Amino acid sequence: MENNRNNRIDEVLSSLDNVQRATAPDFFYTRLKARMEKELVAEPRKSWALRPVYILGVLLVVLAVNAAIIFKGSSSETSTSETETMQSIASEYRINSNLTYEINE
Amino acid sequence: MIQGLRNGDENAFRFLVDTYQDRIFNTSLGIVQNAEDAEDVAQEVFVQVYKSINSFKGESKLSTWMYRIATTRSLDVLRSRKSKKRSGLIQRLFGDGNEPIYEIPDFNHPGVTLDRKENAAKLFKAIAQLPENQKIAFTLHKLEDLSYQEVSETMQTSIAAVESLMHRAKLNLRKILEKEQG
Repeated sequence: MENNRNNRIDEVLSSLDNVQRATAPDFFYTRLKARMEKELVAEPRKSWALRPVYILGVLLVVLAVNAAIIFKGSSSETSTSETETMQSIASEYRINSNLTYEINE
Repeated sequence: MIQGLRNGDENAFRFLVDTYQDRIFNTSLGIVQNAEDAEDVAQEVFVQVYKSINSFKGESKLSTWMYRIATTRSLDVLRSRKSKKRSGLIQRLFGDGNEPIYEIPDFNHPGVTLDRKENAAKLFKAIAQLPENQKIAFTLHKLEDLSYQEVSETMQTSIAAVESLMHRAKLNLRKILEKEQG
C-alpha cells in the first residue's frame, strides 16, 4: 500500500523528465514588434518638463516669487501708511514738511 | 550580435528573438503556468533587452541575463496574481458575490507526452506551491534543462546553494504530493 503510493508519487515527480521545450506562439515577433513600436514611440513624447523634479522645481520658484511679492508688498504698505500718519501729525501740529522727510530717512 | 543590438540593428534583434524566444517563453511558462501571461513576460524580456543592451556589461552570458529577467518578471506576474486573488477574496466577503474569481485551472505543458499529461499537471500544481527560489531552480533545471552551473549563474548564487534548493524543492514536492494523495 505504502509502496504503491510512493511509486505513484515517483511517477508524478519524474513526469517532467525529457520534457520537450514549449515553443513561443506563432507570430511572436510580429506581436513583439507591434508592442515595441507602441511603447518606444510613445515614450519620447514624455516631455522632460513633466518629470516630477522639474514640476517641483517650478512650483518652488512660483511659491518663492509669490512669497517675495507678498513680503515686499506688505512692507511697502507699512511704510506708506507710516508716512501718511507722520504727514497728518506734521500738518496737525504745523511742523515743517521737511521733518517728515527726515523721519523717513 | 550584441554590437548589432547596441547599434539598433533590426536584423540583430530579429536574430536574438529567433534564437531565444522559445527558451524565454518556456521558462516563463513553467513559472506562470499560463500561455498568455508567459507570452507577455517573454515580450517584456525582449523589450527590456532592447532598451538596456547598453547597460549590459557582458559579465555574464547574454542568455543568463535574459533568463534572469524572465524569472524576475514571471515572479512579478505571480505576485500580482496573488494580490488580485487576495483582493478578490475580500471583495467576495463584502461584495454581492458576483466578483471574478482568480483561480488558475490545471496547467498542461505542451511539451509533455500524452501518457504523462495527468501526472505532469499534478506536478505543476505542486510546483506552484513551492517557495520562489526553489520554484525558479526547479523550473530552470528540470524544464529548461540548465545545468546547476547555469542555474547558479542565473540566480546569482553558488552551485552548492542551487543543489540545496533542488534538494529542498524535491522534498517539498514529495510532501505536497503525499498530502494531495491523502
